[in-house]
Amino acid sequence: MDTLRLEIVTPEGLIFDQDVKSVTFPGEEGEFGVLPKHASLLSLLKPGVIEIELPDGKKESIVINWGHVKVDENKAVALVEGAIPLAGATESEIAKKIEEAKQLVEKASENKAALATVEARIEKAAKII
Amino acid sequence: MANLKDIKRKIGSVKNTQKTTRAMKLVSTAKLRRAEEVAKRSKFFENAINDTLAEIASSIKTYKVGGIKSRYFIEPEAIGVVDLIFITADKGLCGGFNYQTIKRVRNIIEEYEAKGAKVRLKAIGKKGIEFFKFQGYELAESVVGLSSAPEYKKAAEFIQASVQDYLEEKIDKVILVHNGYKNMITQEIKQVNLLPIDIDGFETKEITSQLELEPDEGEKVLESLINKYIEFNIYFALIDSLAAEHSARMQAMDAATKNAKEMVESLTISYNKARQESITTELTEIISGMEAMK
Repeated sequence: MDTLRLEIVTPEGLIFDQDVKSVTFPGEEGEFGVLPKHASLLSLLKPGVIEIELPDGKKESIVINWGHVKVDENKAVALVEGAIPLAGATESEIAKKIEEAKQLVEKASENKAALATVEARIEKAAKII
Repeated sequence: MANLKDIKRKIGSVKNTQKTTRAMKLVSTAKLRRAEEVAKRSKFFENAINDTLAEIASSIKTYKVGGIKSRYFIEPEAIGVVDLIFITADKGLCGGFNYQTIKRVRNIIEEYEAKGAKVRLKAIGKKGIEFFKFQGYELAESVVGLSSAPEYKKAAEFIQASVQDYLEEKIDKVILVHNGYKNMITQEIKQVNLLPIDIDGFETKEITSQLELEPDEGEKVLESLINKYIEFNIYFALIDSLAAEHSARMQAMDAATKNAKEMVESLTISYNKARQESITTELTEIISGMEAMK
């Protein structure tokens, strides 16, 4: 099975570096998915959720506030300013992350409608986990 | 010859100082390790953003996707006002660390004032602020606490003011000076021209396929990236400066501990000499007393 390497980098360090099956980014001009062998692309990202599908079928979500992503044939490097992975061992941990993620997005965007969409996405992403 | 009690007191006090400097050295060593770790992690981001910028720059050059017209890249013909941002430590006791930065800053001020430009000083770190205030320089902005605990958001806010002024043509150049970390025992002064950005400075990359940009205007993407690049640059300078500060302090305290040790040794010798001398005097007194009794 084809995979592509996904790296997510914040100013504080590398937070994700794994092979993935597919990944969806919240692009400046609309959400887009990336599969292996994608054409070279560079896109700005807006506040939203990066959804990752791992080779074993598991899903992961990372909430970001700003960034850009560079996609090559078999590699995607996302540079983001703030990122919060939606994951945790217990219910309460996840709930805390969701709260943090919402705050992160709220600070980044003033557009109320866009905000509501993103928040809905965060909730949805959290349910899948 | 100083009296015995005085020397003894002095030895005690030097030993106490030695304890303090040794403890400070240990603290700095631990903090240096942490600062190095942070700097190492940030390297990923630096590499990634440099790579991407180089690629876009090359792609724009190669395919002439829109000419580069933005003020970010074009050096103004005449330089009227220069923003000089410099980073020093909040604390002293770190050898020549702060002074080196201050010296460089003064050189730059002289250089630009000779050219007839006005220099606006923006200081991060208490030591630099204190020095320039005392010398009667005017500081456009001064921040305390950021250099001992770098924070991306605060650094970004700080630099945005300069970027705005630059775009509104209030200033024509932004220079960043800090004393950076080279290795455990050396620091070096780093001076960077933050704005305008030297686009030819990025190494040109071989482009295998045309990069698709989204949104479609290359300049918008580039500008947005450049903004982050500048913000990150100042954040990285802060981290770098913190690591350098700790390494400088570690060295200074190590030297102080060694000096204290030497001092204790020489004081102990003079103490022993003084003691011997007083014993000899006492003996001579007793013997001469006995001789007199005969």
